[in-house]
Amino acid sequence: MPQQRFPKVEVLSVAPHFISFILSETDTSMANAIRRIMIAEVPTLAIDLVEYHENSSVLNDEYIAHRLGLIPIRFTPEGSMRRVPGGDCHQAFLPHRECVCYDRCPRCSVEFELDVNFDRVNQTRPEQERDLPLTVTSTDLKSNNPLVAPAHFLNEEEQDESHDEGISIVKLGPGQHLKLKAFARMGISKEHAKWCPVAVATYRFWPIITINAEACGMLTMEQKQELVDACPDRILELDEATGNLVPAENAYEMATFTEDLKTTQEAMKKRPEDEDFVSVVQSTDRFVFSVESTGAMDAEDILLSSLRVLKDRLNYLASEVENGLK
Amino acid sequence: MNTPERSAAFILDDDQEKIEYAADTKVSNAGTFTFNKEDHTVGNLLRMQLLRDPTVKFAGYKHPHPLVHKILLKIQTTSSQRLPTEALSAAIEDLSNETDHLITQVTEAIDKWKKENDTGMLGM
Ligand SMILES: [Zn+2]
Repeated sequence: MPQQRFPKVEVLSVAPHFISFILSETDTSMANAIRRIMIAEVPTLAIDLVEYHENSSVLNDEYIAHRLGLIPIRFTPEGSMRRVPGGDCHQAFLPHRECVCYDRCPRCSVEFELDVNFDRVNQTRPEQERDLPLTVTSTDLKSNNPLVAPAHFLNEEEQDESHDEGISIVKLGPGQHLKLKAFARMGISKEHAKWCPVAVATYRFWPIITINAEACGMLTMEQKQELVDACPDRILELDEATGNLVPAENAYEMATFTEDLKTTQEAMKKRPEDEDFVSVVQSTDRFVFSVESTGAMDAEDILLSSLRVLKDRLNYLASEVENGLK
Repeated sequence: MNTPERSAAFILDDDQEKIEYAADTKVSNAGTFTFNKEDHTVGNLLRMQLLRDPTVKFAGYKHPHPLVHKILLKIQTTSSQRLPTEALSAAIEDLSNETDHLITQVTEAIDKWKKENDTGMLGM
């Protein structure tokens, strides 16, 4: 007989770089699996191999290669209205280890060219910037695939506001020249953190705040205020009209489950065995997730992609159990 | 110089099976599954799902060492009519269905949020 659960999802906010949602009616093992997959197993692109033609900058080849690797590379699926669950790069690229090509090909890698010569650029710069150090940034990387580019602000408006000039790679001075070819491949951050699509992926437990109205009736206003102040995370409020303690509306964003409230109210009790005035416990089946993207993917796609990865993994395990064992 | 390849954490070694099974020689209706190249993500998920199954008497997993890329999952069922393998299959199927359900839930919840908070993001 199946023991399947039917979890619920409620979205709190969505932005290109951020998503926050409530996952409920499942347990920590599912919440944690989703979190772990978003951090370590969602495939993205990252620069993995660099060929130097000239490097007379102050940084050595390895140092620059490392910096290039850490630049989030964004893949935009064709047709901007795409709504494929987990619309990540796995449908467009092959893992390089599985590709049949000898070294690399467009199926498994994306090529970037970078060629910045201080002396050449210097001639075209405005008078007041002439001879100042020149910063080579991620915008100098020219991709050979129109769907792939170094991550940038997600819309033009934001970009105009920020005067963003890309991610700094190295600064060049007079006479210095950096010319290279970089190859991005698909990978997961179990291999290297540069493939990690998230800056933050966490969940917190939903707080269950129970206020014992009867017991609270015995407290003076000063004592109630003391309870409110006892919480460093401000999850309680004093209703001015009724004089009752109430949970703060956004308590779930703040609850840190410290012991402060407990010790304060223990001291207020007439007898130690008296009932608690207020109790705050962690829910075991309701989680508040926050996911922030590095820019390599939209946050909502990271979430959908993690579920796709989980689904594929379970199907794989199921077929292995069916056919592999006996 | 002798550091193991990082990819050894998720790519099967040559001739390595994904899952191995060994029936327990001392305890009846019990056995241990070895999942190669898996970690807590799958281990804990399977264990918790198995514990919800009334035909499962015991389910536990361990990840022997951070550099040993496998998990051991021990299952004991309540009767000889129910093999540990059957319990495992059922758990995986339930989790797979749960994930399907989640994909729909997430897609719907995001669309609903975007409709309610028309931020002009839909066209992006
Ligand atoms: Zn190839």
